[in-house]
Amino acid sequence: MAADALSGSDAPPVESTAVPVASQRWALLGLLCAVLLNVHHTAAWCLPVAMGGAAWRLWAAQQPSRLMARALRIGVAVVLTLAVLASFRTLNGLDAGASLLVAMAALKLMETQSARDWYIVLGAALFLLLAACLAAQALWLTPFYAAVLWLLCTALYALGAGAAVPAPGLLLRTAARSLLLALPLAIVLFLFFPRLPGALWTVPREDEAVTGLGEQMSPGSISRLTESDEPALRARFDGPLPARELRYWRGPVLHNFDGYSWSRTHADLGEPPRLAFFGRGYRYEVTLEPNMHGVLIALDMPRGVPEERPTAFPTFDYQLLDAKSMNNTISYRLESYPEHRSAAALDAAVRELDLALPRGRNPRSLELAQNLRLAAKDERSYVEAVLDYLRRGGFSYTLTPPRLSRNSIDDLLFNTHEGFCGHYASAFAMLMRAGGIPAHVVTGYLGGDWNRFGNYLLVRQANAHAWTEVWLDGLGWVRVDPTAVVAPDRIDSNLDDVLAAAGGSRRRASHPPWIAAAALAWQAANAWWQDQFVDFNLSKQLNLLGALGLKDRDVEALVVLLAIGGTFWLSLLAWRTRRAAAARPHDALSAAWRTLERALRRRASARAPHEGPIAYSGRIASEHPELAAVLLPLARRYAQLRYGPECSAAELERFRRGVRLFTARLPR
Amino acid sequence: MRSSEPSRYPFKPRARLERAFSAWARSRQGEDCAPLTLGSRRIYILPTRTGVAAAVLLFIMFLAGVNYENSLALLLCFLLGGFALVTMYECHGTLSGLEITSAHAGAAFANGHGELMLGFQNASSAARRSLRLRITEATPKSFDLAPHSACMVRVRYRARSRGRQRIDRVQLSSDAPLGLFRAWTWLHLPLEALIYPAPVRLRALPPPVGRPQRSERERRLGGEEEWAWLRPFRDSDPPRRVAWKAYARGAPLMVAHYDAPAGARRELGLRPLRDLPLESALSQLADWVLECERRGESYALELPGRSIPTGHGVAQRRHCLEALALYEA
Repeated sequence: MAADALSGSDAPPVESTAVPVASQRWALLGLLCAVLLNVHHTAAWCLPVAMGGAAWRLWAAQQPSRLMARALRIGVAVVLTLAVLASFRTLNGLDAGASLLVAMAALKLMETQSARDWYIVLGAALFLLLAACLAAQALWLTPFYAAVLWLLCTALYALGAGAAVPAPGLLLRTAARSLLLALPLAIVLFLFFPRLPGALWTVPREDEAVTGLGEQMSPGSISRLTESDEPALRARFDGPLPARELRYWRGPVLHNFDGYSWSRTHADLGEPPRLAFFGRGYRYEVTLEPNMHGVLIALDMPRGVPEERPTAFPTFDYQLLDAKSMNNTISYRLESYPEHRSAAALDAAVRELDLALPRGRNPRSLELAQNLRLAAKDERSYVEAVLDYLRRGGFSYTLTPPRLSRNSIDDLLFNTHEGFCGHYASAFAMLMRAGGIPAHVVTGYLGGDWNRFGNYLLVRQANAHAWTEVWLDGLGWVRVDPTAVVAPDRIDSNLDDVLAAAGGSRRRASHPPWIAAAALAWQAANAWWQDQFVDFNLSKQLNLLGALGLKDRDVEALVVLLAIGGTFWLSLLAWRTRRAAAARPHDALSAAWRTLERALRRRASARAPHEGPIAYSGRIASEHPELAAVLLPLARRYAQLRYGPECSAAELERFRRGVRLFTARLPR
Repeated sequence: MRSSEPSRYPFKPRARLERAFSAWARSRQGEDCAPLTLGSRRIYILPTRTGVAAAVLLFIMFLAGVNYENSLALLLCFLLGGFALVTMYECHGTLSGLEITSAHAGAAFANGHGELMLGFQNASSAARRSLRLRITEATPKSFDLAPHSACMVRVRYRARSRGRQRIDRVQLSSDAPLGLFRAWTWLHLPLEALIYPAPVRLRALPPPVGRPQRSERERRLGGEEEWAWLRPFRDSDPPRRVAWKAYARGAPLMVAHYDAPAGARRELGLRPLRDLPLESALSQLADWVLECERRGESYALELPGRSIPTGHGVAQRRHCLEALALYEA
């Protein structure tokens, strides 16, 4: 026996592992689409390389077992790795990693033969899909992600079918059905799988060029911003909205002036002086887009620090800085009071900082300030005098101001007379400092559009604005917006309207109302997606539990909910597969006969496996003579219809009626 | 498949584990008999190597999603996990509800191959794919079953020594639809094959006995055509008995049928082989039986305690070989 077993003559032959071309096509299509989803953040050569690999594979599929030489493959691998290094200077990080994955998948195509190789290719494609999700989660992309997932699952089915690949339609249907069945579980897991409060390890992030407020403001930087339609933040208010003229969104505060541009200070001047708040307060939630400035934008003037951001702290100039980087959209809740007053005296260091002027710059403006200050009887009247100068000096408000020289304020006040909010804020703050009044520039946003579909205020980069704050003894910091005197409409209406009235050119044409409504609805959908899906985290999960009445026991509740959801899903699946696997007659005649058999099984006895319809009915008739009169003719009729020449629809219907009558009158 | 490969190590934990598991399954399930429908309680399922690799991949994807705090990536992972579980159910459903309508083990010569014939029926409206039938030490056989269809699957088994050979268990498995999971069941069907002695030519065929007796009619027709009557050709007929001359004249394919043994009649038995060991003698007898059949001659078999009268044809061959297979001194 042992000799027999070891003779080996009979060892099972290796099964044919050739993957049919149809399956290969599915896998290649899936891979290419996954590469396409990553095209915006991978290296530019990724798509051509992947397409080349796929084309080579399709060509090679025609030739019998054609593979690229090993040395050549290794050479190509080295070249592609170097190409990734050349493109990103690293192999780490999402973009470089995804590019490397594309390169290696394309290379794998050079040596794919067995089903195992194709599984690896599909695994790489699934990873690329994941990389695309990590790179961008925009709402409009999700249908594409779903389509590629569907395609990849179809490719998996095609690969799993072996030599006999089913028709494309059937494959697509099968994959879609399985994915739809998986969806309820995915939703349960998404909602109730315990989330972690933060990342497991820090991942390198590519610094993306985010438009928005920055470290400094030079003449023209704000007007460049206003060309962007991108959202800056969204705010949902608990109560009524603040009036238009109160919608000052406080961002980075700029103290350092070099005669041309303003920039932030990195001096740590301690805790913010206490403020006395009065008047009405507004409670709201802000969803802030990724930004570079690291300030939690708040309605002027925020009170306290948001609970959701434990890393946030207020600075001496009332910015809410957050130590944690803001690469993702974040949300936080705040309370703001437009009316407030400084309760303490001005710190000497702050006074010094906010009075500093560069030597020898803007001499004419300095002279103007001195003249105006001498004429004014006190600080307040000096402020009024400067504003009056701006109001009457023939200044105009434009988005496309002429370029300014190094002495930008002199140029603006005595030469060009044209400027944007940044120009006027800059000039006003400089004149204040020259007149001995501490002043600084505050950058942020002004206004916001109400979205009635999403019930939030949308503030765009186009709403970027700059204004000033001056210290007046007895009042503390007072907001002065010099733009308001140059272009009063700017404060309480839209930038577009102001510019249209001033004859300024603006890209946006007026649209019919339904397009505007559709745009609003789309914005609202995006906002919902961002808030409810993309930003679904531990705190939102806990909120959900609270809404379900399970506030106190968070982790236990999650586990229990997961268990319940999972069990439901598994029993749904079991029921479905059991139903699918159950023997089902595929014609109406057998179905009718089975109904009869079932009824007889319940009330008399079951058909033995060896019994045909006639023998079975004969046995039942002898056991239950009262049934014989109807049962025997029915069984004979069935045999005739089943085995006779043909069964017309009318005959079938008669037989079914007979069965119905018989089963209805069976004794209980 | 793997267990049949000769192992380099004397101790095969995998094979031992499988044996222990199948013994447990046998004691749990009891013996089967066809027809039978596979219930879900007897179907076992485990992930394949591909499945384990996919799980590792999925876990890495999940970690990436958690680390990037990316909702879409997490949803993708959960969807893929659910998808894998759905295919697990589909894999199980490939076997669940399958009907085994018949099972038969065909006879074979010792050290040769025989065939098992198993009838399967798929009454459900879904196709059952990548089914695989396997017996120990033999090539597995893969097949598919279309919806509402039946088929007969033949799988070769390795015949050992003369006598009765019991095929303890047949494993029916499937890794449909994706190859991530493999479901299997053991069938303990009453499969018993008769193993004929392996034919071995040691001695020449013993000379024919008795004189050929020619009837008046045959004499009239001439020496060559000694048939009594013709009957239509059947697939099992040896070509040498086809009435080729009649066929050449335009008649359909006919086979010459003899009323009585026309030519040589040979008496086969152990007597001329007494000097050989019993198994060799039986092997020689099996060879003679086959040789007589090849020549189209009639033969009788005489064994101690069993004698088979003169005859020829498929039934005679089978009777003789069966007698040889079951002969015990």
